[in-house]
Amino acid sequence: MIPERKTIASILRRAPGILVAVLLIFWAIVQLYPILYMFMTSVKTDKQILNAPFALPDPLKLENYILVWQGDRVAQPFSTFFLNSSIITLGSLAILLFVAGLAGYSLARGRFPGNAATQQGFLLTLAVPVHVLIIPMYFFMGDLGLRNSHIGMMLVYATLGLPFTIILMRAYFLSFPRELEESALLDGCSRFGAFIRVVAPVSRGAIASMAIINISWIWSELLFALVLLDQQGVRTLPLAVAGYRPASMTSESVLGQQFAIMSLTALPLFVFYFLFQQQIRKGMTAGALR
Amino acid sequence: MDFRRNLIWYLFLAPAVIMLLMFMALPLIQSLELAFFEWNGLRPREYVALENFEDLFDDRFFWGALRHTLIFAVFSTVGTVGIGLLLAMAISRRVRGAALYRFIFYLPVMLPMAVTAALWVRMYEQNFGMLNVMLRSIGLAHLEGTWIASRETALGSVIAVAVWQFSGFPMIILLAGIESIPEDLHEAASLDGINEAQRIRYLTLPLIRPVLISISVLQFIFSLKVFDLVWVMTLGGPAESTSVLGTFLYKEAFRKQEYGYASAVAVVMFAVIFTVTYVYQRLMRVEAVEF
Repeated sequence: MIPERKTIASILRRAPGILVAVLLIFWAIVQLYPILYMFMTSVKTDKQILNAPFALPDPLKLENYILVWQGDRVAQPFSTFFLNSSIITLGSLAILLFVAGLAGYSLARGRFPGNAATQQGFLLTLAVPVHVLIIPMYFFMGDLGLRNSHIGMMLVYATLGLPFTIILMRAYFLSFPRELEESALLDGCSRFGAFIRVVAPVSRGAIASMAIINISWIWSELLFALVLLDQQGVRTLPLAVAGYRPASMTSESVLGQQFAIMSLTALPLFVFYFLFQQQIRKGMTAGALR
Repeated sequence: MDFRRNLIWYLFLAPAVIMLLMFMALPLIQSLELAFFEWNGLRPREYVALENFEDLFDDRFFWGALRHTLIFAVFSTVGTVGIGLLLAMAISRRVRGAALYRFIFYLPVMLPMAVTAALWVRMYEQNFGMLNVMLRSIGLAHLEGTWIASRETALGSVIAVAVWQFSGFPMIILLAGIESIPEDLHEAASLDGINEAQRIRYLTLPLIRPVLISISVLQFIFSLKVFDLVWVMTLGGPAESTSVLGTFLYKEAFRKQEYGYASAVAVVMFAVIFTVTYVYQRLMRVEAVEF
C-alpha cells in the first residue's frame, strides 16, 4: 500500500512539470511543423503534394529547385532574384555600417554644440512609421533615377536602419578605450585615419553584431521593394514570393515550385540563424527599441 | 576656432544626417503637404485644403481599415506576449532541452514575412491545405473552415499567423527578464515555503512587470504597422474584411492613383503611431543624452 500512495503523491507533485512539458512539446510542434512542411513539400512532385501530404518525399526530387533557379515557368529565373536580394542586402549593410559607425563615433567622442540635439533628432526618427514615406519616395526616387535601381534600394534601406544602429553604435563607442586612438593620433594619423585603421578593426565584433541585427529585416523587406522596384529584372526575393500567386491549389501544376521559392528565400536566414543564434537573440533584445 | 576643432565631428556626422534628411525628413514633409492636394500623379495637383480629411472621415472603408488595424494590433499583441510569457516561464523552470526549445520558438521569427504569409495561404487552403486536411484526419471535420477565404474568419486567421510567427520574440525578451531575477530571491521564497503558483504571482510577475509592459507596447506599435502579412495573404480581402491602414494606403495610392487622399491616410497613420511611440519613449525615458 505504501509504495502505491508514494507514486500517486509523486505524480501529483510532478504534475506541473508534466503539464509544462506537454505545453512545450505541443507548441514546438505547432511552430516547427509548418516550416518542415514547407521544406518537405518543396522536394515533392505535385501529385505527391496533393495525394500524400503527410508522407515523406519519395523519391526526393530537387527538380523543383532546378526549375525555379533556371526560370522555367516563372517569368524570371529565380537566380536573378536571389542575386538582386544578395546585392541589395550586402550593399545596404555596407553603407549602413560605415555611415552609422562614423556617426555613432562622432556622437560618443565629439563634445560639439548640437550633439544632444542630434541624438534627440535620431530618437524622433525612430517613431516615424515608414509607410508614411512611400508616396513621396515613389516620385522623387523616380526623378533622381533611383527607381528600379539597386543603389536606390541600398540608400533607402541604409537610411531606415540608421537611427537605431547609430544609437547602439554610440553606446558601444562610449565604452571604447581612448588610449588606442590617441596613440594613433600621436603617430600622425588623422581622425578619419585613426577611425579606419584603429577604431573600426578593433570594433569588428560590435560592427558584426550590428550587421546581424539588420540583415534579416533587409533581406525580408517587402513594402519599399514593392513600391520602388516595378521591373522584373531588379526585383528581390520577397517580391518573387509575394507575386507568386496562381489561382487555386487544384487547377495548377506548379505547387512544388512555389514551395521551392519560399524555401530558397527562407534558407539563407535559417543558415545564418544556425550559425549565430546566440548573437541574434542577444542582438534582438538590444534592438528591441527599434 | 572652436568650430574648426569640431569640424571633423560634424563631417563624421554629415553622411548620416544627409541621408536621414533626404530619405526620411523630406518625404515626411512632402507627405504632410500632399495630404492637402488632390493629385493623380499626372495632372498638376490641385489645392483642396481639408477636403481629403473630410472625405476620409466619411469613408467607411477607412474606418474599417482603422478598426481592423486596432483589432489586429490588440489581439496579436495579447497573443504573442501571452504565449511568449507562458513559454518563457515554462523554459525558465530549467526543463530538459531548454536550449532546443529556445531555438525552435525563435525560428519562425527569422522567416521573411512574405514567406510566412505565402506558406499560410497554402496551409489555410480549403481542400488541400494542411489545416483542413489535418482536422479531417483526426476526426474533427466539423471544425473545418474556410479561414482566409471568408469574411467572418479572415481577420482572425491572419492574426493567428502573426501570433504563430512572432510569439518567440517576446519570449526571448521575457526570458532574459526572468533569468535576471537574482537566485537568492528564489531561495528566500522557497525557504518561506511558498509554492510555485504563489512564487509566480508574488515574485516573478511583479519583477518582470516593466519588461512585460515595454515588450507589449513595442509589439503593439510593431503590429500597427502591419502590411506584408495582410498584403500577401489576402490583399485586404475578402470584401475588405482584412483591410488595414497599411494596405488601404497602398491601394489608394498605387492602385487608384489617389495620391493626395492616400497621403491623408498616411498623415493619420503618422499621427497615431508617432504619438504612441513618442509617449512610450518618454515614459521609458530612453536615455539619449548623458553629458
